Amino acid sequence: MIVPLAHVLILAGIIFALGLACVIAWRTNVIMMLIGIEIMLNAAMLVAVGGSRLWGATDGQVFALMIMAMTSAEVSLALALVVYLHRRKKTVNADEFDSMKG
Amino acid sequence: MRLYLSFILLLPLLGGIVNTVAGRLLPRRLAEWLACTAVAASFGFALAAFLSYRTPVTVELFRWLTAFDFQAPVALYYDPLAAVMCLMVTFVSTLIHVYSVAYMAEEEDYARFFALLNLFVFAMLTLVLAENLPLLYLGWEGVGFCSYALIGFWYRDEKNATAGRKAFIVTRIGDFAFGIAVIWLFRMCGTISITQINGMGTAVPAGAITLLGLLFLVGAMGKSAQVPLMVWLPDAMAGPTPVSALIHAATMVTAGVYLLARMFPLIGSSATALAAIAVTGGVTAFYAATCALAQRDLKRALAYSTISQIGYMVLGVGCGAVTAATFHLLVHAFFKALLFLGAGCVIAAMHHEQDIFRMGGLARRLPLTFWPFLAGSACLAGFPFTGGFFSKDSILAAAWLKGGALYGSLYLLGMVTALLTAIYTFRLVYLVFAGPPLTVPPPLMGTPTPTLPHQGGGSIEAPRLMEAMLIPLALLGLCGGVLNLPAYLGEGWLAGFLAPVPGDGNMEASSGLEMVLQGIAGVVALIGLAIAHVRYSGERRARLIEAAVGPPSAMVAFFQNGWYVDALYRFLFVRPYEALARFFWTRVDEGVVDDSLDRFAALLGATGQGLGRWTNGRVSVYILSLAAGAALLLAYLAWVVL
Repeated sequence: MIVPLAHVLILAGIIFALGLACVIAWRTNVIMMLIGIEIMLNAAMLVAVGGSRLWGATDGQVFALMIMAMTSAEVSLALALVVYLHRRKKTVNADEFDSMKG
Repeated sequence: MRLYLSFILLLPLLGGIVNTVAGRLLPRRLAEWLACTAVAASFGFALAAFLSYRTPVTVELFRWLTAFDFQAPVALYYDPLAAVMCLMVTFVSTLIHVYSVAYMAEEEDYARFFALLNLFVFAMLTLVLAENLPLLYLGWEGVGFCSYALIGFWYRDEKNATAGRKAFIVTRIGDFAFGIAVIWLFRMCGTISITQINGMGTAVPAGAITLLGLLFLVGAMGKSAQVPLMVWLPDAMAGPTPVSALIHAATMVTAGVYLLARMFPLIGSSATALAAIAVTGGVTAFYAATCALAQRDLKRALAYSTISQIGYMVLGVGCGAVTAATFHLLVHAFFKALLFLGAGCVIAAMHHEQDIFRMGGLARRLPLTFWPFLAGSACLAGFPFTGGFFSKDSILAAAWLKGGALYGSLYLLGMVTALLTAIYTFRLVYLVFAGPPLTVPPPLMGTPTPTLPHQGGGSIEAPRLMEAMLIPLALLGLCGGVLNLPAYLGEGWLAGFLAPVPGDGNMEASSGLEMVLQGIAGVVALIGLAIAHVRYSGERRARLIEAAVGPPSAMVAFFQNGWYVDALYRFLFVRPYEALARFFWTRVDEGVVDDSLDRFAALLGATGQGLGRWTNGRVSVYILSLAAGAALLLAYLAWVVL
């Protein structure tokens, strides 16, 4: 193993934090929030692949592929929703859509 | 005997139950007939039991309370004391039941009335026949309950309901002491059978006997309306007149005297307890006699005279003269029931007018009421050779024979009371029956003048059935002395009959002394009559009636209001109690308990509201909260691991 697992995990943590920060900070644009979610998913995939490399099992890589497929489906749905939302309120600011209150 | 005793008790109970359950469905005549027959048959069995009496017997009907050592079966004890009490109670009750049929003829709620009357007789007979203290207590409380329900019989009037409650609560104070005495006796003696307890004698420590005697005395004070628990009896006149006659003259109020006489073998050995009993009785007799002097309400005057006469009985027990007390109890039951029933006739004839200053001239109009009433008054006043004379005198003689400063002064107090008794009795007779018929009624202050129905030759008569009931009572009252003639006139039957009842007969007056004492008593009664004649007849009477329109003088008002004892109790007990209750209500219950809960609920509500504002529907806030929560979790895990 060339890259130690710790490094992989640290990198994944940084990417995850960046994605989370993107989601939290960029709430005025739903599309940017979706991108943040993608980044976090990538961090998760990185951890899965790193784990698979460590134990020499292929499940992690298979799982990463599954996540990719799931992500593409999710993004297509999410973008359709964004288009629909934009049509309703002429905005992509997430905080504008607050009608589901407790 | 078992059969007789069971039937004495069961018949009134049966009558009461049938009238309670089905009284309203039965035809009126049948309900009345049932109630009267039940009591009359009970009297028949009492008579049969009396005639077949040989020695004291204990009859156990069935087991009742049984727990470890505690045995309280429903057991009856029939001894001379119980025998005479049974006869008196059933006889007087029978007459009063029949009288009630006429008196309550207009009453809608006859079923309730007769059911309660029957139950009352049952409770009283239970009390009289009980062999153990819990059973006696059962009858004691039953009597209390029935009197409460009967005093407040016309409960739609707030005043009557209050009088009923007052009677119940005041007697409850005495019952409480009695209950303590019963429990204490069981703890100490291990038994609650009256005969066994009375047989213990010296096995019980002397100090305990004194305290027990005082506790029994407090119990008797409540039930027999003795000072200081006498305030309920005058108010109890709110009930229908037959109830007054039955409960507050003949039977219930004598329960206290009966209890003291019953427990006399135990408590009689304590001189302190006896002195306390005697003083209570003497003071009560005097107190009530002074109050009776000033009453304007016919029934209230009689009520005070009842308190006074029961004071005599208690004095008799306190002097150790159980026979004399029982004798007076019997004779008093006859003549006081007679007086109350006579008063009922008068009140019925006057269409529910009770103010004696608004009556007059009834002697000619109601002759059949007047003569028995006069006989009853003569007994009450202690006229020579009436029943009341002999019985009252035997009590006073006992006080005299007991000697000493205490009993000597009690004898004098009793004499003064006898004088007062004669005065107030004939004050009633003169005001109610003598003089011209009142044609121009003096208007009461502040009230519109009601039209007097007996004005101008209107019909004024009492139902014949009611007046007929007076005659046997009058005969018994007048001739009651025959029951227990003093030694110089022959043998005292009652003294002989009651001889097995222990604790009596330790002193025998010589005939000469007894004659002197009786002579004094007779003279005192005659002086009382003379004073009453001077003060309340002819011209003076008319002037008094005129003067009665105005406000009474301070002294009259003092006596009229029973020495303001009611006001004193109101000030001493009722007001602080109400203040305390209000404190607990507004400060503790509403202030502390309710308020703290309310505040807590408000706090929770506000918290919920505050938290609810968090879910404002903004995704960003949710994400931030999620991230913050995750960060916290991670930080916690890191802290735990590292």
